[in-house]
Amino acid sequence: MENLHSVYLEEAEDLFSKIEESLLLLEKSPDDSSLIAEVFRSMHTLKGSSSMYGSSKVADFVHNLETIYDQVRGHEIELSQPIIEATFKSLDHLKKIVQAPDIPDPIDAKYHEKLTAEILGLLEDYSGEIAPAKKEVNHSKCTYFISFTPDKAIFSDGTNPLLLIDELKDLGPSRVYTSIDKRLKSKSYDPKKCYTSWNVILATEDDVNPIKDVFIFVEETSKIVIEKISDVDLLGLSEFTSQLPPNDLNAKLPALKDFKKLVKAVPAEALTRSAEDSLHEDEVDGQEEEKLQKSHGKEEAITSIRVSADKLDELMNQVSELVTTQAGLSLYAENNFDPTLNAIADNVEKLSRQLRDIAFEMTLIQISNLFRRFNRVTRDISTQLGKSVKFITEGGETELDKKIIDSLADPLMHLIRNSLDHGIESREERVKMGKPEKGTIKLSSYYSGAKVYIQIEDDGRGIDAQKIREKAIANRLISKDDQLSEREIYDLIFVPGFSMAKSVTDISGRGVGMDVVKKNILDIRGDITVESKIGQGTKIVLGLPLTLSVIDGLLVKVEATSFVVPLGDIKKCYEIKRDELSNDFNELITLEEDKIPYLDLRKEFLIKDENPPEKASIILLENEDNKIAVCVDSIVGEYQAVLKPVGKYYRNQEFVSGATILGDGSIALVLDAYKIIARKIVKQKKSA
Amino acid sequence: MKKNILIVDDSESIRELVGNSLENAGYHVLKGINGKDGIDVLKNFDDTVSLIITDLFMPEMDGIDLIKEVRKDNIYKFVPILMLTTESQAEKKLEGKKAGATGWMVKPFEEGKLLRIVKKVIG
Repeated sequence: MENLHSVYLEEAEDLFSKIEESLLLLEKSPDDSSLIAEVFRSMHTLKGSSSMYGSSKVADFVHNLETIYDQVRGHEIELSQPIIEATFKSLDHLKKIVQAPDIPDPIDAKYHEKLTAEILGLLEDYSGEIAPAKKEVNHSKCTYFISFTPDKAIFSDGTNPLLLIDELKDLGPSRVYTSIDKRLKSKSYDPKKCYTSWNVILATEDDVNPIKDVFIFVEETSKIVIEKISDVDLLGLSEFTSQLPPNDLNAKLPALKDFKKLVKAVPAEALTRSAEDSLHEDEVDGQEEEKLQKSHGKEEAITSIRVSADKLDELMNQVSELVTTQAGLSLYAENNFDPTLNAIADNVEKLSRQLRDIAFEMTLIQISNLFRRFNRVTRDISTQLGKSVKFITEGGETELDKKIIDSLADPLMHLIRNSLDHGIESREERVKMGKPEKGTIKLSSYYSGAKVYIQIEDDGRGIDAQKIREKAIANRLISKDDQLSEREIYDLIFVPGFSMAKSVTDISGRGVGMDVVKKNILDIRGDITVESKIGQGTKIVLGLPLTLSVIDGLLVKVEATSFVVPLGDIKKCYEIKRDELSNDFNELITLEEDKIPYLDLRKEFLIKDENPPEKASIILLENEDNKIAVCVDSIVGEYQAVLKPVGKYYRNQEFVSGATILGDGSIALVLDAYKIIARKIVKQKKSA
Repeated sequence: MKKNILIVDDSESIRELVGNSLENAGYHVLKGINGKDGIDVLKNFDDTVSLIITDLFMPEMDGIDLIKEVRKDNIYKFVPILMLTTESQAEKKLEGKKAGATGWMVKPFEEGKLLRIVKKVIG
């Protein structure tokens, strides 16, 4: 049951965000009947599953909401702003109470009642009744008379009337009277027809509905009479049972009125005694039921295929270890010239690669859920700010590593808040500038190469590069004479302590934030760029790796030390003579008539050798428009690097994003192209 | 031989709950996430199902259309079909009945009731 319950909770979450999404769209086009139907259906599903999982409070609450949308659907009421507001409030409340459907917190319970009343007030024919009437549970047994005369053709439906009688008997103690039509004995008898009818006396704790349910399949074609003949269990009274006629197939069926006569004949004293008995019986029944439920719980088989994120992480970890171990095996096989071992190693390599790909795919999730979250935030904040904003998302189907999506939530939230607060102008301002009254924020995502890009675009006032410059000078981040390109100026936004907001608001502008955003993005090996045009809007682009745990890299060597360079950042490789470098003084190298700053790993890592090899390899890294050349001794080849974090002593280092274990057990550092380029450019600026 | 039952519901939690109960009771369970999917599951199944249990409100293709579609197939002309409804929606029940449903079950129901009804229909 436990694992099923989590399925229910996850489903509820999904439904909440679906409803939210539709509501946001409905605000824009309140007449869209397909959206209303969508909301209604989601609520309906939520109600159904909540009731099945025992959350009757949730189910009742959703039922009222659903009724509103049913009325909207049937054009009985109009979808007004108060309805939408109330629905949003209800969703927030529901999110809370699905976790603890008994609503243990008295404040929540009070709020629950208040909201329920509010929702009921919105209904068309609200009669002052709170929550749908609960079924009265009757704990003492009553006695029913049931007459069942099936349609003669009942067999052709595939229905076995005896099963129905059996089911009646399951409801409680009973007496069944059967009678056969006389024709059964005559020659006109058709064996494919049913000539039997039944009258049943049944004592049951249930009300009339379960009895009706027994006949749901046949109620239209058969003759069925159900009537309560007593409020006590007559079948438990010898005064009654002793008077009952015997069951004689050939006799006429005892009819309702015959039984009623018998009931009247039962002494009143016996009836009260029976009522007391049945109360006592209940207690025993209750205990037994509990036992039954317990034993049921044990039999529960696990058939769900939902897997917890932790287990996936663990799988990914183990697969990473396997890839590393396999690299060791391949290396060993290669060095030992044993054809059998080599073949095995090849196979293991193939298998572990497939396994890695499968495991990797499992950890990818669509970004749409994250996007959906911002729908709501955008709406809330824009209302708070008195701005009207259209929020568009695109490319929600893009898949990313779950860890990346998790760590994107905060930075994206911040960027969107910024756009809403500083980017989008107030309504009046927009009208004055000849822009549409409604601002637009577009959140989109797409693949390009080995990366995923996420773009936040607004059509607001844009960022004034001149103002940033002035502020940066005032804050002593740059000096007056510094020549910066537009992009470099925009990059200043991400420097700690830099805030452009004129006033500090609740939403953004506390001066912390953009630097944290950048740090968060860099932490997941991403990069961030800003483009802006004054008066037209701002575009912020995040470039992200597909995954955090495995990267395709190029294995290179400097003396005996190995490094891995991410393949995605490499533009080209060249072979040069080492002399070419030493002749150069400004740490610039000419490649294809282009002067490019270079970084000699030999120097940077203080790898000393009196006689460096004559030849060297240059790897040209490119990140956006910036290029940098990295000089190494030799290139070994492509390598699948399983990323491991480096210890805390390396946290502040300038160009390593992690380490990986090579096949022979040694360690290679994984270079971070973005950091290398950023650092080199700063250096260049300083020396210039 | 296990009897096959198809459950069609857009709610995963209900599919799982009903599916689990039926599997524990010894049935083989097939699942569809909406009417269309349910039809696909039936078409791609190399055996026949003995019972279809379907929700009514579903995206893409609702329960009523599913029933109509299923009844077109000669193999499934007489297979029992149970509808799941949330409350007593009289019109829907009638509509379902006209389309060829055998009966219905009102949510919420307990495992015991589900199994009883299933047993009643397919023995």
